[in-house]
Amino acid sequence: MLMFIGYPIFETFRLAFTDPGTGALGLYNFFELAEDFHFWNALKYTFLLAGIIIPIQVTLALSVSLLLMSRFKGSGAVLYIFLIPLTISDVAASLIWYNMLTGSGYLNRILLNLGLISEPLHFFGYQYRNMELLAIVVTEIWRATAIVFVIIFAGLQIIGRDYLEAADVFGAGTFEKLRYIIIPMLKPSIQTALIVRTLFAMQVFAVVWVLAGRDIPVLAGEAYYWQVELKNPNVAAAYALIIAFISLFLGAVYLKLFKPKYLEE
Amino acid sequence: MNLRGISKTIFVIAVVVILIVAVAAYFLLKPPAPKEIVWTSTQLNPSAERAFVEGTLLPAFAEEKGIKAQFVPISYADLASRLEAEMAAGKVTISLIGELHGGLDLFASKGWLEDLTQFGELPDRTFPPVLEKYSKIHGIKAYVPWMTATYVFVVNRKAFEYLPPGLTEDDVVKGTSKWTYDALLAWAKNIYEKTGEKKLGFPVGPKGLWHRFLHGYLYPSFTGAQVKNFNSPDAVKMWEYLKELWNYVNPASTTWDAMAEPLLKEEVWLAWDHTARIKDAVVQKTEDFVVVPVPAGPKGRGFILVVAGLAIPKDAPAKQEAWALIEYLTRPEVQVEVLENVGFFPSVNEAVGAIPSGPLKVMAQGVNAQISAGDALLAMIPSLGPKGGEFTGTYRNAFERIVLQGEDIETVINELGPKLMKLFEEVGAPLPPPDA
Repeated sequence: MLMFIGYPIFETFRLAFTDPGTGALGLYNFFELAEDFHFWNALKYTFLLAGIIIPIQVTLALSVSLLLMSRFKGSGAVLYIFLIPLTISDVAASLIWYNMLTGSGYLNRILLNLGLISEPLHFFGYQYRNMELLAIVVTEIWRATAIVFVIIFAGLQIIGRDYLEAADVFGAGTFEKLRYIIIPMLKPSIQTALIVRTLFAMQVFAVVWVLAGRDIPVLAGEAYYWQVELKNPNVAAAYALIIAFISLFLGAVYLKLFKPKYLEE
Repeated sequence: MNLRGISKTIFVIAVVVILIVAVAAYFLLKPPAPKEIVWTSTQLNPSAERAFVEGTLLPAFAEEKGIKAQFVPISYADLASRLEAEMAAGKVTISLIGELHGGLDLFASKGWLEDLTQFGELPDRTFPPVLEKYSKIHGIKAYVPWMTATYVFVVNRKAFEYLPPGLTEDDVVKGTSKWTYDALLAWAKNIYEKTGEKKLGFPVGPKGLWHRFLHGYLYPSFTGAQVKNFNSPDAVKMWEYLKELWNYVNPASTTWDAMAEPLLKEEVWLAWDHTARIKDAVVQKTEDFVVVPVPAGPKGRGFILVVAGLAIPKDAPAKQEAWALIEYLTRPEVQVEVLENVGFFPSVNEAVGAIPSGPLKVMAQGVNAQISAGDALLAMIPSLGPKGGEFTGTYRNAFERIVLQGEDIETVINELGPKLMKLFEEVGAPLPPPDA
């Protein structure tokens, strides 16, 4: 335990608070990091991406779960198809989407051949950062909604049938059942899904890196860039700490927000 | 009882004597071990390249000369500290060093390298004058040029149909005085106006080598130096040029780390990159591509040449054997073998002629045309050690702020210029050619 968890954490702190030039302890690396304009952009884009992607994923996962609960014909097949992207690595998924959306990619070729556009749509490049953002959002939703879905779908399975039957007896409509029975009982699952998904969002890296390079900087990407390209492990460690603290903070916020009501009396 | 005690003593003495004789005989009569030399190298370290050295190059050498060489891949930082320690202790174990020009320059300046003139000339091979010149530093012949690598332009033959007026295919392929950065701009603009597509591309992605183009190609070509004139009036003109050129550069460039893929997919027809990173394109579609020298600017045809050299440390344990290995590694046929297997270009002229025709020949011809151009302005990558990232980062930041974000040119370069100079002062490194 001490070897595998304690030592790396200690090293990260040591690196982050050591001035590589003089070896003195201090906030030097954090100043250097904040001086770089990429840091503020990275902070902005990491939160922006999380803010766009997570609500869409949770809504989508909840809708698909409810749809599958009604057990229509072929729902088993839909379940499996929906889970396929979960088995593909993030880098592979990003490369698939990159090749689909690039200037000479499938999407542009189809649209050009159909005569819907006269010149290729540009999804990539600094000048098209909004399109890059769109490509990242689409890829992330395609790839990672299944994780949220699995958690919520499992939560739905354990809601007792008798509650819903009782609601039927009292003449509750679909909306009332959703509002007063399903959502409240799903709270622990949604909380888990949100925490897991938010932690992943703070570490978002491979998808952004493949699709947008450093046009759209994100925190984990900057940590990697400082470590590998700029060869400065100290600033990279400072980034790692910042990501860790943001994650801890957001986790705490979720736990507080989703505390079951009866505990607050 | 007493007798028994004596015989026991005699027995023990006999055993000890026999042991001593046996050990002494072993050491005296042992056949001499084959000569073994230690070759540390910061080059050819990836496992596939290392396997080529240990599995192909060195066995052939051992068979011919009866000298066994132990190949030790090492990082620059480790090599520098090991060499420093061995020099301080006066006990040198390394016989041969394979390193880039920058590192050898530093070692020679500290007096850690033998003057190689003592070994005489290497027969049947000529080194390009520019390589000869840079290997003689700090008053000695510090190293023998071993391998080279550079960055070139690749042209899809289709682009030749859109040459701007006044520029011919021959100008581009041979790198004449008409093949300039202005001509490149006119060409890219012409392609855009005729086809509606931006067919010029650069590896501007985060792992691309774009910074090398900025400090080793544009800066020397426009200002005559890599670092010295970072914030000069000439530099302002250079950035204005780049902003203009950027209008015709494929915008997806900021997501590309290597140009082979975009070239093969025909997203671009004109691309600049490191030879190793365009090799795939030339190998797969040899007929479609031509490798050409880079354009020239007002101050010359600036380009980076990465030179790896072989040097012998002072008081190395096996100097003659190391020299034999140097002789072997710079033979034209061995150099062609290195090019074919690991993609580094030869350092001797005879090797270029010995390459069988095919993609490698196409590339070697372009590389050679670039080195031999009359207005060649050679740039070397500075050796700043751990600060190297900060150096390249400065050029990339300047580009992002000026060209992508549209900040005022003078504000940005006047802010970053002093920081760049401070880097060299902190490390105590000399400015790289052509500045120095």
